[in-house]
Amino acid sequence: MHMHEEGKPLANILPAMIPARSTAMSRLLFALCFFSSTVVLSAQSGSTFPVNGTPDVRSELHVFEGASLHLADGTVVSGGHVVVRRGRIEAVGTGVYNSEEPLVRHDLSGRHVYPAFVDVHSGWGLKRGERSRWDGQPHYEREDTKAALGWNSALHPEFNSAESFVPSEKEANEYRSAGFGAVLTHRQDGIVRGSATLVALSKDAHDAVLIPNSASWHSFSKGSSPQAYPSSLMGSIALLRQTFCDAEWYGQFEAPEERNLSLEAFNDGLNRPHFFEAGSWLDVLRADLIGDEFGMQYAFLGGGEAYRRLEELAATGGALIVPLDFPTAIDVSDPYLARLVSLSEMKHWEWAPHNPAKVVEAGIPMALTMEGVSKGKTFLANLRKAVAVGLSPTDALAALTTVPASMVGAEDRVGRLASGLEANFIVSDGPLFEKGTALMATYVQGVRYDVESEPEADVAGRYSLNLDGRDLVLAMETGDKGPSATWWPAGTAEEEIDSLSGKAKVSLDGRDLVLRLLDDEVGAYRLVGNVYEGSRIIEGRGERPDGTWIEWAALRQGDTLVPPKKEAEATVTPEENAGGTDEAIEEDPVGPTGPGPITYPFTAYGRTQSPEQGSWHFVGATVWTCGPEGKIENGEVMVHKGRIAAVGQALNPEVVFGKNTPDLVRIDAKGKHITPGILDEHTHIAASRGINEGTQASSAEVSIGTVVNSEDVNVYRHLAGGVTAGQILHGSANPIGGQSGIIKFRWGQTPQGMLIADADPFIKFALGENVKQSNWGDNQTVRFPQTRMGVEQVYYDHFHRAREYGEAWERYEAKRKATPRRLLRKGGGPILPRRDLELETLLQILESERFVTCHSYRQDEINMLMHVADSMGFTLNTFTHILEGYKVADKMAEHGAGGSSFSDWWAYKFEVKDAIPYNGALLWENGVVTAFNSDDREMARRLNQEAAKAFKYGGVPEEEALKFVTLNPAILLHLDDRMGSIEVGKDADMVMWSDHPLSVYAQCEQTYVDGRRLFDLEEDLVLREAMRTERARLIQRMLDAPGADKRKPMERIPPHYHCDTMTEENR
Amino acid sequence: MICLAHLNFEAMKVPFLFALVSITTAMMAQPNLTPGAPQSERILVLGGTAHLGTGEAIENAAIGFEDGIIDFVGAARDVDPKRYARVVSAEGMHIYPGFIAPNSTLGLMEVAAVRASRDYQEVGTFKPNVRSLIAYNTASDITPTVRTNGVLMGQITPRGGVIGGSSSIVQFDAWNWEDAVIRADDGIHLYWPSTHHKHFEDGRAQLRKRKTYDQKLHEIRDFFERARAYADGKPAQRDLRMEAMRGLFKDGDRSAPGATTLFVHAGDAKQIAEVIRFKRSEDLERVVLVGGADSWMMADPLRENGIAVMLQRTHTVPRYAEDDIDLPYKLPKLLEDEGVEYCLQGEGRMPEMNTRNLPFYAGTAVAYGLEYEQAVRALTHSTAKILGIDNTCGSLAPGKDATLFISAGDALDMMTNDVRQAWVQGRDVVLDNKQIQLYEKYKAKYDAQRDAGNR
Repeated sequence: MHMHEEGKPLANILPAMIPARSTAMSRLLFALCFFSSTVVLSAQSGSTFPVNGTPDVRSELHVFEGASLHLADGTVVSGGHVVVRRGRIEAVGTGVYNSEEPLVRHDLSGRHVYPAFVDVHSGWGLKRGERSRWDGQPHYEREDTKAALGWNSALHPEFNSAESFVPSEKEANEYRSAGFGAVLTHRQDGIVRGSATLVALSKDAHDAVLIPNSASWHSFSKGSSPQAYPSSLMGSIALLRQTFCDAEWYGQFEAPEERNLSLEAFNDGLNRPHFFEAGSWLDVLRADLIGDEFGMQYAFLGGGEAYRRLEELAATGGALIVPLDFPTAIDVSDPYLARLVSLSEMKHWEWAPHNPAKVVEAGIPMALTMEGVSKGKTFLANLRKAVAVGLSPTDALAALTTVPASMVGAEDRVGRLASGLEANFIVSDGPLFEKGTALMATYVQGVRYDVESEPEADVAGRYSLNLDGRDLVLAMETGDKGPSATWWPAGTAEEEIDSLSGKAKVSLDGRDLVLRLLDDEVGAYRLVGNVYEGSRIIEGRGERPDGTWIEWAALRQGDTLVPPKKEAEATVTPEENAGGTDEAIEEDPVGPTGPGPITYPFTAYGRTQSPEQGSWHFVGATVWTCGPEGKIENGEVMVHKGRIAAVGQALNPEVVFGKNTPDLVRIDAKGKHITPGILDEHTHIAASRGINEGTQASSAEVSIGTVVNSEDVNVYRHLAGGVTAGQILHGSANPIGGQSGIIKFRWGQTPQGMLIADADPFIKFALGENVKQSNWGDNQTVRFPQTRMGVEQVYYDHFHRAREYGEAWERYEAKRKATPRRLLRKGGGPILPRRDLELETLLQILESERFVTCHSYRQDEINMLMHVADSMGFTLNTFTHILEGYKVADKMAEHGAGGSSFSDWWAYKFEVKDAIPYNGALLWENGVVTAFNSDDREMARRLNQEAAKAFKYGGVPEEEALKFVTLNPAILLHLDDRMGSIEVGKDADMVMWSDHPLSVYAQCEQTYVDGRRLFDLEEDLVLREAMRTERARLIQRMLDAPGADKRKPMERIPPHYHCDTMTEENR
Repeated sequence: MICLAHLNFEAMKVPFLFALVSITTAMMAQPNLTPGAPQSERILVLGGTAHLGTGEAIENAAIGFEDGIIDFVGAARDVDPKRYARVVSAEGMHIYPGFIAPNSTLGLMEVAAVRASRDYQEVGTFKPNVRSLIAYNTASDITPTVRTNGVLMGQITPRGGVIGGSSSIVQFDAWNWEDAVIRADDGIHLYWPSTHHKHFEDGRAQLRKRKTYDQKLHEIRDFFERARAYADGKPAQRDLRMEAMRGLFKDGDRSAPGATTLFVHAGDAKQIAEVIRFKRSEDLERVVLVGGADSWMMADPLRENGIAVMLQRTHTVPRYAEDDIDLPYKLPKLLEDEGVEYCLQGEGRMPEMNTRNLPFYAGTAVAYGLEYEQAVRALTHSTAKILGIDNTCGSLAPGKDATLFISAGDALDMMTNDVRQAWVQGRDVVLDNKQIQLYEKYKAKYDAQRDAGNR
């Protein structure tokens, strides 16, 4: 360990000596370790190990004194000392520390000491799971182990991180160079990831492990699991929920029949703090809902874009572990390629540094993490950026020390300068969060790890140089590729400098400057000099071109030579010292006006404010009520508080509202047509990371409702086509698909805000080629069923199991009722059946509490499923697609099923070779409630035109045809009590068209949802203009942004889902 | 097909009366979807609005034709109906030249999911000698469902690779491809490589500059230079691929005999700029851009370099989130205003069956700014001109093929598109199809059930 000699001021020590001596020290350390593996300087644990050689007792105390100590409460104590014994803090105080014990004093006067940082999200020292190469075959069974573990290899609750932990120096170095002293490490693989262990960033595992198995981590990512299930985000969610259920059930048994070590481990770990690797704010909210369901308050990794939805994130009650992975500017110089970059990505570039401050402002407990930043230097630079734009140093320090420490209950081990804690601290040459301060060393368990020897001198500027009697001017600049220089004779007129100047090569190593002056006439002078007095003087010796030596000196004349913007670095790096303060403003990616406006959603066509519910009075329109009043010419509609207040002709507000007549905004709709908002019974937009969990024949446990994506621009585009509500359906990859998400297209709201709260629950079924995997290539021939014959059996099998499941619960309830309260209180009574989310869902169908919409094409299978339903005692609600419905329309009517079809699709699969565009008309004529749906983000924008095809093909009367996309889908979704027609009391979900709503020439001019105008042709132009100017502003800023490491433009292409889209998006 | 007697008139209301008439006519004409017999008598279509395809319309018009060739186009008052053996009234209706579906795979694919029925894409990278014409299945079940909406001709186009093959132009009422052909091997289809490609990272797809693009471009140039040398010299050995390229280097406009057009399929601005450079560097006289999502940004160079655009489906979602939400809808209007030569086509999802929706792609363009007759032109005369068949097709004009149809209502609007009569080269087209037959079959069943129930 290096120490300064007492009384010797730090400034007089030759800078170069510190690293040199310290290197020698580490060599010594290495030697000790090599010869005697048991000698570990801070070790206590080593005492059980046999000693080879003479033990190192290490009885001395190390006193770090004279420094400004930054304490947990934000106070700074100057002249403080920290006393360390064997890697732990013995005492913290001010003044001179005295003791009779052996003392080694370390003079830190002028230095600042902070507690070292703590990162709770780390995989340090643990091998990541590696995914085996996919062989093109689906894998349904667990194959990685035959041990007594759980069934799914994305779940590893049994993983013991403490036992597997082996420190790795390379990664530790990056952490330490950012100021971290301890991390909570866990294996970053899978949905349930086992234990996390708090470790110090020391070299030896025995020292490093502080609190073994002190927390648990969960995630949505299936990681290296080769198993097919789950393949979607909603599948990950369902699997995690089911695991909670399974563990609860399993926990009842003293000696379970079937041993499951995974569930045992899961239960054992339940009392630990739980963390969730989420990501976006959407994922944080999704994870929080799981936590709420099972009484688990997670702390969430994520929220790097929390500034977009602070209120909702604060409402989770969970802490955020926020990354500082601020994006660099994007190279937007090519205007064509710049189009690839979305507005939200550009805005995020500007907003990201502001995020930590915003999180704190919102009152959300925040820890910061190095996640997403690979270099310690970058982390510090970004941290300082965040501080520069508003994060207070106190909050920054807390977010890196006390907050993360308390998250793992380790307040008494790490995160503060206080006695009893690990001697983890940072030494810097100034206030750590200020630009230009050097983080000199991080001490971990009392061991010094050098980060920065001395700040590299900033030599940029203009110097006078006397060389062999010649008076020269030397101009040096610093750029990305290091410093460079030019020189010219002193007294040269400004306009002649260019022609008379010579080049010079400069290299800088700490404070040593090596200069090679290229003189065309005589050759190169090679000079070496030291930089003194804040770059004011450089002096040293050198060799002339002829090989003789000279003395030289350069005196700084000024810093008029400012490096051009383009060459300055994008990220603030600690090398730059005070000389660069002017640059700080330029480097900061935040303009004088701060970042641009937050829009809801934070994408194209987002608004800064949600439109208010208006009180409207539409007059002069043709109103297609789709209700009993039919079509009203010269009609009027009144809207108030989100509802239809009146519809008819010549309405009088006072008659409608009585005394409480609101101020109605009169809208002249002469020549316009007003229809109810369009409902799309079958869509796949606005869902995140997969709409099929087609990896099992039944995935009834998954729900699209858990993965609604409110940020999908298609929501706005749909509004522009008059669509106000829709059912986001699971895909059609398996006979029993997943639960639906039924939403109103409330653009700007969160997923929860879009979901229709009390809508009846639905589930997707599917028949035919998709569920048989007919068109999936030659490898998908294993999963049952592969024929229509098998499909029937899947249904019977699952429904019988569901019924038995219901009976088991009934028996349990009965037994429970019969058990005396006294016994129940003591924990007696019957064994709780296992809650099975899949069978529970299916049981809801049998009990007519959940409703089926079934993807179907051919008449035989439609007939089959109606038989299944009849015999199991429930009614199929809707057949979707139902292209051969016309062949069994009478049977459907008799069963009571509705049909939601395509207007004219066919010839894409063998099973649709008999599809006809007259299908809708024939279904309708036979008394089937008939709708047209999209299943397609394009067609959904003009469903009114599809309705027109019911008129074209088969002559369904216009008003009835319009109902195919309004009232009828509302009936099929059980929403007709509030949507689907313009009737008093219903939701004010309406569309104003420029023309006959079934005509190709009709433009949707305005769309209202809950009485809010969420689309308006005129406002649309304003939004476009706002986007254009905001983009232009950001592009200019990015062009001006310094840094050569600009990212190439790239586009995030959201997947476009149809029924049969199979993806794996939860790795 | 006894269903006609049992039509539910109350539910059907007026429009269905017209349908009834048309179905009756069609059935009486020729059951079984038989191609029409050669025109044997002079026919005059009298009354109604004639949309000539060239941008003009005639109210209360008369269109006469004999031996498959139009011999009169004008006002009803200027014609002597007695000169015609058969007079078909189009009173209150609309008359259009047969719509043309360029860049189509109709007849090359029957059921998309059935591999055995897919014939639109041969293996290989450069295969100009692969000809769509001989694989064009005149008996496809899909074709009759297209005719019933007014689409009567198409350019059957092979896909895949860099050069997909040679297209041919056919009419949609034929016994076999020899009857069907209007112009064989009219063009070579070059699928321009993307300058960028999807790159998967963090489970998300991103678009990145394609590393192999320059190599691909080099290969294309090389192929064209070899083809030109082959065409100019006296090859000792026959190379079928080079033979197929010969027509590209002939002089003359797109309708010149023996001259083939290079159809380059490309969408984004970078690609289009490359296509323009390529046309100039290879000194190609006839180049048509197919797709052209970004063509509106490149209007000036396209116009200046004489490159016409076969514009992508208007029924498409915008490419970028920030794009105007109606950008695909108004593309035709943007090109019209810029004076770029263009026509409409329907490549995209389920292109074969959607061929029948081609008229509505034009209708949407009207809703977003295009004038009505301009939209009709973009399905007829402009298409014919771009395909080099405007000397015989694409407009209602004396001397042109009598390929036309009558719709009871506006044919560009799905609400009113109602084709009553159609002729291809003067032959009566059967306006029946498999779907109508299935409709009638089941309608009859339900009507009978209802009758039995009522009795």
